[in-house]
Order: sequence, then C-alpha cells, then structure tokens
Amino acid sequence: MGQFVQFAINGVMAGAIYALIAVGIVSVYKATKVVNFAHGYLIMFGAYFYFTFSVIIPNQPWAPEWLLSWQPDWLVAQKADLPMFSPMGAVLDWVSNLPRIVLGLTGALIANAIVGRIIERVLMRPLMGQSVFAMIMVTVGLISIMSGTASLIWTADAANVPFLSPSAPVKFEAFGTTIFLLGTDLVNMVLALLMFAAIVAFVKFTKGGIAIRATAEDQSTAYSMGISVPKVFSRAWVLASTTGAIAGAILATRNGISPSLGLFGFSVLAIVLMGGLDSYVGVLIAAMTVGVLEAMTQWKLGGSWAEIVPYVAVLIVLIWRPHGLMGQKEVERI
Amino acid sequence: MSMNRRTFLGTTAATTALMGTPMILKAQASEYVLGASLPLTGPFATAGQLVAPAFALATKLFNDEGGIAGTPIRFVTEDSGYVPQNTLANYQRALASEGANMIGYFADSTGAMKLIAPELKGENARIMGSTSFASELADPATHPYQYMSGPSYQSQFDILLQNIKNEGGSKVAFIFSNTEFGRDPIEHGKATAERLGLEVVLEESTKPQGADIPTHVTKLAQSGADHCILHGYVTGVWPQLIGGARQFGLPTKFMGTFWGMEKLIADRVTKEAGPFLSGYEGVMPYRYFWDREDAPRYQQYAELSKVMFAGTPLENYMSTWAIQTMCGLEIAMKSFRDTAEAGKELTADNVAETLSGISDWDTGGFFGGNVSMVNNAIGTGRVYAYDAESGLFNPKSDWLSV
Repeated sequence: MGQFVQFAINGVMAGAIYALIAVGIVSVYKATKVVNFAHGYLIMFGAYFYFTFSVIIPNQPWAPEWLLSWQPDWLVAQKADLPMFSPMGAVLDWVSNLPRIVLGLTGALIANAIVGRIIERVLMRPLMGQSVFAMIMVTVGLISIMSGTASLIWTADAANVPFLSPSAPVKFEAFGTTIFLLGTDLVNMVLALLMFAAIVAFVKFTKGGIAIRATAEDQSTAYSMGISVPKVFSRAWVLASTTGAIAGAILATRNGISPSLGLFGFSVLAIVLMGGLDSYVGVLIAAMTVGVLEAMTQWKLGGSWAEIVPYVAVLIVLIWRPHGLMGQKEVERI
Repeated sequence: MSMNRRTFLGTTAATTALMGTPMILKAQASEYVLGASLPLTGPFATAGQLVAPAFALATKLFNDEGGIAGTPIRFVTEDSGYVPQNTLANYQRALASEGANMIGYFADSTGAMKLIAPELKGENARIMGSTSFASELADPATHPYQYMSGPSYQSQFDILLQNIKNEGGSKVAFIFSNTEFGRDPIEHGKATAERLGLEVVLEESTKPQGADIPTHVTKLAQSGADHCILHGYVTGVWPQLIGGARQFGLPTKFMGTFWGMEKLIADRVTKEAGPFLSGYEGVMPYRYFWDREDAPRYQQYAELSKVMFAGTPLENYMSTWAIQTMCGLEIAMKSFRDTAEAGKELTADNVAETLSGISDWDTGGFFGGNVSMVNNAIGTGRVYAYDAESGLFNPKSDWLSV
C-alpha cells in the first residue's frame, strides 16, 4: 500500500505538469478552433529560454558575479559547515541561485510570449477566415521549423538548469513504507495547479476570458458584438506561450534540458483529446489519470510499458466518448 | 576464318589485356575512400560534433604516413541524425558514388550496424567499424566484416560486476535507456551477477532523454541497491539520476559504461549542479587523453591537434568519443596496410581475414598493453573514478581483460 501511495503521488506530480501543458492547447483551441500540434515545441522554446537566461547569460564574462551565484557573507557563513545535499544546504543553494532563477523565469516568459505573438501575427492571422485545417497544417509545419531553429541556436546538448524551488528531500512513513519526494517536485506541482486554476478563472470570470469563450462559440457573432477576434486570437497564443514557458522551465528542472522536450507535446495532445479539446476540467482529470497510470505502469511493469499503457487507456476512452471525457459534442446543422 | 599463329597470339594478348584492365585500374586507384556517418544533429549531436574533427586529423596523419601502400585516403562523412535508416542510405549512396574505391565504412550506432549487416555481401561488402560496442556484433560468424574497437557492452558489464563483487557489494540495480543500446547487456549482466552471487534488485528502463527522474530514483531508493549500473546514455539522464539520488540522500554507488564516461559532460554537470559526481565510476577501454606519457600515438595526436585545432577546445583535449573513433580507424588502417603489404587485394574478405588475425598489437598507448582481436573485438578495459575537484577520471583498477 505504501508503494501505491508513493507512485500515486509521483503520478499526480507528473499529471499536474501535463495539465499545465494541456491548458495551452485547450486555450488556443477554445479561441481559434485550431489544434496546436506545435505546442510541445513552444514548451521546448520556453525551457531553452529559461536555460538561456538562467545559465548561459549568467555564465558570460560580462555578467555580474552575483547573478550566477549570490554569495552574501551571511549565506557563506551559513553554508560553511553544511554537508552537500543537506536540506538546509539545498535551501541555501537555492537562495544563491535566486537571482538567475528570477531572471530565467522573467526572460522565458517574455521571450516565449514574443515567440507566441510572432507565430500568431505572421502565420495564423493571415489565415483567419480560411479553413481551420490550413491553420492546423501550419502548426504541423511549425514543428520542423521550431525543432530545427532550436538545434541551430542551442545545439542538441543535454544540460541542467537551476531548480525553481529548494530541492530538499521530503521523507515520511506511510503504511510501513518510506515515501521519498523531492521538495522541488512538490512545489512544481503546486505551481502548475495554481497556474491552471488561474487560467481557468481568467477564462471563466474576466472580460478577456468571456471574449475567448464568445469567439469559440461563433466568430462572426463575436465580431458583430464588438469583440476584436484578432485580439482574442493573439491573447490565446500569448497565454499558451507564457504557460508553456513555465511548463518548459518546470520540465527542464525535472528532466534536464534537451530537444526531446518537444515530444512532450504529443503525449499531452493525447491527454487533451481524452479530456475533451474544449474542457479545462476534463483535461485536468485526463492529465491526472494519465500521470497516475504512467507511474503505476512504471512501478508494476517497467519503463517499456509506461509509454504504452496510459495511451491505450486514452484510446479506449476515445472509442467510448469520441469527443473526450467532458468535451462538447459537435452539432452540425445542415 | 582461319587462325594462324600470329592471329592467335594477337587475339590472346588483346583478350588478356582487356580482361586485366579492371584489375589494373583497381590497383591503380588514385585514392582510397572511407565513408562515415556521424550524428551531427539529433539527440547525440554533442558526441557527433566532437568526433567529426577526428576524421580531419586522421586524414592528415594517415596520409603523412603514406596512406595505404602509398595511396592516399579520403574520408567522406555525412550526418545521420542518429537515425539508422539515414546511415544505411548514406552507406548506399557512398557505395554508389565511390564504387570500388570505397574500402571501408564507419557507422554511428548499433542500429545502423545491424541494419547494414545484411547489405555486406559480395561486391557490396566493406569492412565496417562503428561507435557501437553491441555484443551481437562481436561474432565473426554472423558479422564477418564488422568489428568493434574495444570490449562489448556485455564485457563492460562483466568488468563492473566483478569490481562490485571485489568491493563487497551485494545488491545491484541496472538502470538503462529503453533503446537497443541500453538493453544490450542486461540479460547477460543478470547472468553474470547470478554467477558472482550478486542480487539484481532492480531493472529499470527509462527514456533515453527526458526521463521521469523522480519516479526512477524512487524505485532505486526502494530497491535498496548498494550499487547501480547506468547504461545506454550519452549526455543526459545519467547525471540527473545521480543528482536525484543524492538529493534523496541515497548512498548508492553509481557506475557507468563507455558512453557515460566523458570528462566534458562530467565537468559541465559539476559546474552547473555541484560536485555530486565525485566517486562516480565506470569502464573505459582506453587511456584518457591527458594520460599520454606512455602513449606515443596520443602524443602524435596532441601535436597535430595543437596545429589543426588551434584556438578551439580540441587543441588540448580529445574526447573519449573521438579516441574511440580514432582507435576504430587505426584498426581499419592496420588491416588495410597489412593486407596490402601481403600483396593481397583490398577486398572485404581479405581485409576481414587480416583484421581478425590481429594479435599482440602495440597500438601506441590506447590500451594498457599489446592487444589482440578476439571475435572482432578487443576485450580490455579499466575502471576509472571521477574526481570533481580535479575534473579527471582517475584509474581505480589495473587493465582488465575479459
């Protein structure tokens, strides 16, 4: 039972990140009816921007020393006698890294928002009024462009980035088993869930969110009611990019940075289909389900199965409910 | 038509000349070509880009020495993106464009070697080295033209497991990437562990990149392993797994195989995340480049590197990955040269025969002593341990043969 608890928690932690990634896909779909196949690569860009601002720039010879590692006297004195990887040492290491973490997150948010805005303005907006299929195909083409661009700029090197929060271990007993968790993963989970909730609240309760929902219902009517549909498109893409930047940074701290981060988008696309393309709640349930299923499969059957079993479940759900767990059923009037 | 003696002699001479022409043309090749595929893009681009300059160095070095029996060599290298099908296509293209002048090929993965193996028949057969240490390739009966420039992954596991046994370890975990490369030695490793009385408490496969580190580390923690062998990774995953385990406070000792033993990667991780890789051990078939006092061949490389790669990081350091490639090319060149010296044509069969007969060979310092090809592999290696302070992998054992 203790083991079950351990892997269930691991699964929920992974599921929260999936949910944060999925929210970007849902937001773009709700506003534009476009399924963004390149969302994973937007996340990869977010991760690489975080890497650029938190690792590459602070390591430049012209960057101030405190940016790379802030070492005030009190911090040095506190760290002096601590063993490596002690909980307090982890907290102090994080404090040392705080300036570059803040720079990394800020830089990633801004840079990824600019990328999202460019994609929307240059590639998507000219296609407004055209078939949605054409826009979807553009996102497919974007995959190659973004993956090639990332290789050109950052190469395919795997690298590490600083944790967003202290990486102190958390251990406790449950049903006679020691449960191991990393503090940083718990914080990542909380951060992902908070962001998810904030976006859902934004779409449900703010004027901008209502505009997104109205546009999703009917673009022509939204136009006639004075809603600037191009602005809604733009807002949805920026929302997807900025959440993608945070998701990318979290993924980079969890799994290291590499071009394979882009592939997460495809896994999450399956989760979005399972939950329902236009349902935040459905997607949250699907993300948690797949996260837990993956962890349980990894525990019981090993890594080879972990990549298969959850997606078989996705397929079964789609056969049962083709529009997803909580997706809106399309009604076409002829 | 009647044939007199003069007509008969004339016709015979003309026919002989005609039949012999291709042989003469072949013998008079103005240069020999060696093809190569490298992962210059894709997940292992770091390795590919560090290996690529070795071909420039090899061209200069081997041609300065007279090429093969006086005929210069030329390398044709192409990117594979670490996709075996691309390597196969590169090989077929090189074969079509270079024809008989191409006498050897260098592939960049286990998958590519296995994919190309069935193509190596008759006129299309070429001697072929690679970056792979896949155990399946160390079998001249099934892969007569393919060789490896060190011990197979199975042999590397044997060395590590023996070392664990000698250290008094009892519970061992295998964590490996879910690739052909990663899975290669696992079954053999389990058998060896059983023979040595070690308990394999965890077999965990992971994604080759972007693995779910917390889940894997959790399983490692709960397995109670005192030693863990990481295999099937190059630049990523293995450092994160060790870092995660250390954050959990696990005392597990980590070990790796050839591709996880590069100083550049260990140094980079140390710089970014702290000195937690100190004590990490692994098998290395070759000397590291800084250990060249007793390695005259390395000294030649160093002199050339200073000139050819001046102003780049390669000026003073050759990565283990490039050393492996150089060793592979040295083996091929020795086989070509010995075959040519014996007055034989450089057909794949003749070269393969020479290669499999290499015995008691002084490589100029790649290995601890003279080596022989056994089953088209060189079964020797040494355990090294990383010291984060000096940034060096230091020897932990003598040179071991398997």
